[in-house]
This record gives sequence, C-alpha cells and structure tokens, in this order.
Amino acid sequence: MHFLDDFYAYVTSIDLWKFVRIFWFFVFFEFLRFFVLDFLTVSLWWLTRRFRKDRTRRARQELFEQQPLISIIVPGKNEGQHIFRLALSLKEQTYTNYELIIIDDGSDDQTPAICASLKRNGFINLYLRNDVRGGKASAANLGLRYARGKFVVHLDADCSYDRDALENIIIPFFYDIRVGAVGGNVTVRNYKHSLCATLQAVEYFDTISVGRIATSELGIYRVISGAFGAFRREALTRVGGWDIGPGLDGDITVKVRKLGYKIRFEPNAICKTSVPVTFRKLIRQRLRWDKSLIRFRLRKHRDVFYPNETFRWSNFISFVEITYNLVLNIKWYVYIADMVVNFASYIPFILMTNILLYTCSNVVKYLMFSLFRTKRNEPIGYFLPYLPVMVIYFGYYLRIIRSVAYIQELLFKASYKDPWNPQKTSRHAKALKI
Amino acid sequence: MDTKKENESKIEAKDGRISYGNLLFYYIENNSSFRIEELMGYDALILDARDHDFTRLIIKRIRTHYNPEFYLKPVFLLNVKPTKDPLINHLHDGIIYSFDQVPELANIVRQIFLLTTQLDYNLPNSFQAQTMKKVFNFMHTRETKTLRPHIDVNSIVGYTYPELSVSFDDREEAQTLDILEWAEKEGLIWPDFHERIYLCNNCSSGFLSYREVCPHCQSSNAKSEDLVHHFPCAYIGPISDFRNPVDNTLSCPKCSKTLRHIGVDYDKPSVINHCNNCDNNFQDFYVKAKCLSCEQDIEVQYLIPKTIYLFKLTKKGRSAAVNGLFTASQEVEDIFGTIRPEVMKVMLHYEVERMRKNSALKSSVAVFHLENIYELYNRIGAKSRKNLIIELMNLVRENIRPSDYIGLESAATFYVSMIDTDPAAAAATANNIERSMQTAIHKNFSAFEASIRHHIEPLQIGTPVDAQLQLLAKELFN
Repeated sequence: MHFLDDFYAYVTSIDLWKFVRIFWFFVFFEFLRFFVLDFLTVSLWWLTRRFRKDRTRRARQELFEQQPLISIIVPGKNEGQHIFRLALSLKEQTYTNYELIIIDDGSDDQTPAICASLKRNGFINLYLRNDVRGGKASAANLGLRYARGKFVVHLDADCSYDRDALENIIIPFFYDIRVGAVGGNVTVRNYKHSLCATLQAVEYFDTISVGRIATSELGIYRVISGAFGAFRREALTRVGGWDIGPGLDGDITVKVRKLGYKIRFEPNAICKTSVPVTFRKLIRQRLRWDKSLIRFRLRKHRDVFYPNETFRWSNFISFVEITYNLVLNIKWYVYIADMVVNFASYIPFILMTNILLYTCSNVVKYLMFSLFRTKRNEPIGYFLPYLPVMVIYFGYYLRIIRSVAYIQELLFKASYKDPWNPQKTSRHAKALKI
Repeated sequence: MDTKKENESKIEAKDGRISYGNLLFYYIENNSSFRIEELMGYDALILDARDHDFTRLIIKRIRTHYNPEFYLKPVFLLNVKPTKDPLINHLHDGIIYSFDQVPELANIVRQIFLLTTQLDYNLPNSFQAQTMKKVFNFMHTRETKTLRPHIDVNSIVGYTYPELSVSFDDREEAQTLDILEWAEKEGLIWPDFHERIYLCNNCSSGFLSYREVCPHCQSSNAKSEDLVHHFPCAYIGPISDFRNPVDNTLSCPKCSKTLRHIGVDYDKPSVINHCNNCDNNFQDFYVKAKCLSCEQDIEVQYLIPKTIYLFKLTKKGRSAAVNGLFTASQEVEDIFGTIRPEVMKVMLHYEVERMRKNSALKSSVAVFHLENIYELYNRIGAKSRKNLIIELMNLVRENIRPSDYIGLESAATFYVSMIDTDPAAAAATANNIERSMQTAIHKNFSAFEASIRHHIEPLQIGTPVDAQLQLLAKELFN
C-alpha cells in the first residue's frame, strides 16, 4: 500500500515537460510511430472503404471474366501430414482455376506416399520431389520453374485458407497492372493452445493485420509472408525467383519492389497458420527472422539507400522504416541507460508507469483497430485480459531476442550457419555476401 | 536263346516300316503325309525330326489323341535338331541318330508296354478329371512323378506343362493352369513354388510389354532429364536450362555462373520427365503393361497374378493311373433346361412311386455318352464348350416331351427321363436325339465326327433308382 501511495504521488507530481523527459522513448518512438501513424493511416483506409468497394467489384468481375490460371506452389520438407488438409481447404476455394504444385524438399517421412496418393486422386496437379534437400528457396524455384499460371501463390503447407482467400489475394492485381505482389493476411489458428500462442495472436493482429494495412497504404509494405503471398509470375521470373534464405520472404518482396512493382497487402485474404506454442520454439523462430532482417536489409539490399538509377523513395522509406526497428532497439538500451543514470531512485515508478502507458495504448489501439476488422470471426474479448502481458512480451521478451539476433548477425553473420538452410548453399551465400 | 538274339539283331526297313525282333516301328519321313490311324498296328513311332514344325505337329497329333492306343505310343526322334520347344523336348521317348540304334529302343518300348498294361481305362466323369487322367496315364508309363513347367514362347502364358499343355491349343494355355488348380484341390498333385507370372486380364496372355508412360496421357513418348540445383543462387531446373548449346558447358540461367563441380556448387537432386505428347511434366512414370497378344493396355494392378508351380504327384495322383480317378467335383455348372443327377434321382423315385400305384404305366430312362466329345472341347476352348453343351441340350429338349427331364452328369454324359414311354418308343426318340446331335456337330465342326452312344432301360418298380442308373451306365460302357 505504501508503494502504491508513493507511486500515486509520483505520477501526480509529473508535469508535461517531466513526462516527455522521462518517457521520451514511449512518446517519440513508440506512440508516434506505432499508435498515431498507424491509427491515422488505418482510419483513412477505413474511411475510404466505400470508394474502394467499386474498384474491388470491378477487379473481381475482371478476374472471373479472365479466369487466369493460378499456380499454387507449396515447398516444404516432411509436410505430408499437412498436405491433405491444405488440399481440402483449396478444394473449397471460390476461385477454382488453379494448379497445385507440391515440392517435396527431400522429405524422409511418409510425404512421398501421401502426395503420390493425393496426386492420383486429383488433389495435387504436380508433385515434384528432390531426393536431396536443397533448401526452401530452391524448392520454391523448382515449383516456379514448372508453374504455368499467370499468377503464382506461395503457401506454407501447415496453413489453411478462408474459402475466398485465393480470390481475394488475386483481386489487387486487377486494380493496377503495376501490382507485382500481394501479401495475404496471416492469422493465428492455434491461439488458444498456450499463452505463447495467444500473445502471438495479438501480435499478428497488431503488426501483421493492422501494421500491414498501414504500410501497404503508405506504399512501404515490406514483407510478403511465405505463408500466403501472391506474385505475378512474370515478376518472379524477372527477379530469378527466390534466393537462399532464411528470410527469403522479405528478400523476394524487396527484389520485386526494386523492379518498380507495387506491393499490396490484402486484409481480406485470410490465412490461418499455427505458431510456435512454447517460448523456447518462438525464440528460435524469431532469432531467425531478426537475423535475416540485418542480413537482407543492411547487407544484401543496402543499395536501396544509394541514390543510383534504381533509387525509389518508397523503397528508401520502406528500408528506413525497417532500420527504424533496429535504431529503436538500440535506442531502448540508451533509454534504459538514461533512466539508470539520471532517475535511478525512481526506476520502479518509471517501470510501473511505462507498463501502464503501454497497456493503455495497447487496449485503446486494440479496441479501435478491432472495429476496423473486415472479418470478425475471432472473439475480441478473448484477447483483452492478455494485453497487459503484451507489454512484457513486446517490450522485453521480443526486444531481448531481437538484440541477441542483431548482435549475432552483425558480429558473427550467424544466419549463414542456421540449420534451417542447408550448409552447402549457405556457404555460397556467405561467400557471395547475399 | 540264340535264335531269339539273332532275330532281334536283325533290323529291316521297308515302306516306312522298321521291324526289329517282334517290334514294329512306324517311320515317318520329314514332311510326309501321315494319318494317325495308321499307327494302330505299330508298337512305336520313329519320326524324322529335321523340321521343327513338322515334328511339333506330329507329336501334338499323337499326344492329344483321346485314345490311349495313340497318345501313349512311344515316339522316337531321328535327326533331331536342338530346339527349345518343350513339347518336342519332353514328349518324346528317345533320340536316335541312325536306324542302327533301333535295338536300343526295344527295352524302352517294352517297358512302356508293360506299364501300359497296368493302367485303368475307365473314363472319369468330368472334363478336368479326364484330362488329368490322360496326364497321369502318360506319366505312369514314362515313370515320371513331377509336372515341370517350362518356358515356352509358343504358350500364351509363357510357360507350359508339356504333358498337360499338349492337349490344348497354345492360346488356351491358361486353361491348363485352371486344371492344375483343380487337380491340386482334389489332392492329386502337390505344388512347389516355381515362379510368379502376370497375365493379361483380357486374353490371359503372359506376353506383356511393360512400359513407363505419362500419367496424364499414357504415352510412352517422354524425355527424362536430370534436375540441377545451383547452390549459390538456388536456381533449380532441368539440365537443358543450364546447357550452353555452343560449347556444351553448363551455366546457370539465373546468375550466369558456370557450373564447375558437382557436390560443390551444384547437385542433381532428382529427375524430371517431359511428355512429348501432352507437354506434361512429371517425376514418376506410370507403369502399364501392353498385351502383345490382344494389344490391350493394362494398369499393372489389374493384371491377373498366377503362380507357376512345379507339381509333384501325390499318392492319390500316382494311383490315379492304375486305380482310376474318382472325383466328387462337377465340371458343368447349371445349364438352363437341365437338372443335376441327384435331383433327377429324386424325380425318378417319384415316378417309380407313381408307377407303383398304377401298374399300367410304363416309363423309361436313357443315358447318352458322347465318346470323343472332349477332343472337340479341347479344340474349341472353354467358352465355346459351354455354348456347345447348351446347344446340344436344346436339341435334346426339342426331341422330348415337356414333362421329360434331362440330368446332366458331365459334359459328355447325360440322362433323359421318358415318362409314360415304353422302351420301343423311347428307343425311337433316343435315335432321333442321337441323329440330330450328330448332324448339328457335323454341321458346325465338319472335320469332327462325333461318336455318340446311348442305352435305354425301362424304369423298374422293385429296384432302387440309384441301382437302375448304375446298371444303365454299366450297360452303356460295356
């Protein structure tokens, strides 16, 4: 009680100047970028939805008139157990002119037998198998090599899709001939499985669903998820398909963007994926993702910052936005140092206030953005009790993982040693600095 | 003794007859005309076997004959050329290179004669049993106890059991497998695995061409290529994507680097096939079997699997030749308008009871036996056999009254009840039946002369029906 009284006295004693001085990190870096900017952009998107309705109707009509063939490529290793459910969810699609190409990247389980049976029964159009594992990029490229469709949709085998997901992800291509790739809206299927999965569901909603609406509207959408992304085949062919991962989803998006194509996010193209259910598994996944951010953005595609002939402001801003994350992460440590040095005696109160600030902004943001959701098949109330925990999850857990990943990649180029990709290819990627 | 020796040592050859001691050999020169009936007065046959087809023809004519006098006749080959034909190699009794060797044949002929005298000549009641009895008779006289399968390009299934298969046309070889299966079930032979074969599901041919075909259009016009994975840029595609047509080097179409060392900068993780017919790409061919006999294209899972066994005669099989072959199985399924013998016995029993009540009533029963009909059955195959029996039974029905019934004992023997018909009237009806059957058979199979016998007995009140039918059959076959 004594602590709460002191805390109350502390909070009431802070004036505006003091508030900005002590909570500058929240005010300038978190609140402005991830609350105000997102809110303004998404609000604008929501308010202009009526104008988009006509455009969408026309594009849908054009899609069904033209009936272009869509090549769905699903690369993976030991994914046999998921393929049947995937094929079934595709059979339910409202858009049916597609070919399903499964690329088995050296599976050593029952995948070949399962896929052969599915092919025999007409669920799969083409099943290609590499006896020796070559990595996800080469598997996807093999699918691309034999794809015949005008559009290529890249899927993960362990995902499933809303009935109109395929139709919705293709429609943006008919808005504008310059749209080269469209990202789908990835949501969490197993959000009830564990606390870890629930927190990720909130994160996906915030950063993927809402965050990508915002970045797409601003023209700086940067990562088309490998779980659900569509491309013009011509664009993919021009960039030579996927390069060695990890992080090939972001890499291919940048490559397509560099050619001058527009990249769109389609919130109505809903895909459900299973996320890691333990914090230990999540660490592994996020280390891989965060390391690839450094590798591809700061190393392979650093030319985006250079004012050369391929320079585009949208690419530049997109990269600045990503780099912002890196800067933000460093700034956070600066902020911690600032607090320790200058406000050491108030640290418990500052920590409490920070948690309150973030929780409040999370709740407001979550409730407001929930109103913008196009599909309301998730219970909003379910996630509300978890929002205070998100402060720890976002602010500390993910931030520490990110820091470790950045250090590992910047100092040791650890992504080249990641077993996610076979060493025989990573070795070459490292030598070529890609 | 001296005189006997002297007589035996003298070989005389004249007009196709070779005599040695008290044995008379019939000599057939290559491609000379031959009537099998001429063999009747001879102890054995010497065949000039220079011509393979002629030799095969003569051996087949002799061994397929229904009469033991002919099909058991010792056959020796002269001037035989090496051949892989099992029907020639396994159905003769010896090879000689000149008539000087004829004395060496005498003991063989005598041994066959001796064993022939031990045989039982009663004909079993079914087609399968009669066919196997012939085989057992032959094996007994040749002192063999195994039915060995031989690879034979003339046989439609690719394998032949010469002793049995000789009775069938090459295209009917699948029937031999059915008969052997029957014999195995009857406990006459014991199987020993030899080989597994697959037959066409349309014509039972074993001559199948297994082909890798496109799973989409079933064409075998496809091209296979290695898939090449270039490590540095993750490009993967068929090797033709990498091949430089000018200098035949391999360079990556994505990053233009030259491929240098397999396993270091590239590998070949798989193969891809391209169908030139429908442009389909695929990795796994479908395997289909094309029947070279009927040209049907069959998916391999629909082929008929058959096991080829080496069969050993069981004790029952060994004694079948000497003690006769008795089997319980029926060879004919229900033919419309006929009844089974056991049903017939019941109905005749009712007729006898009816006659007992009214002594003025007179009924008869007749038995018909088509003596050489199996010779024709062998020739026309299983399907036509059934059709022929149906046709013959229709003819019988046309000659009898609706109240009469036909009891089909086997494909060669049947009974006809003649209710309220005395033996004289029954004899007239039976003659009509015999005549119309003979005419019909002759009309359809002009080269075949059917030998038909019948016997009629009046139904007796005091004797059990079983005994009356046995007596009827005995009278017919005596």
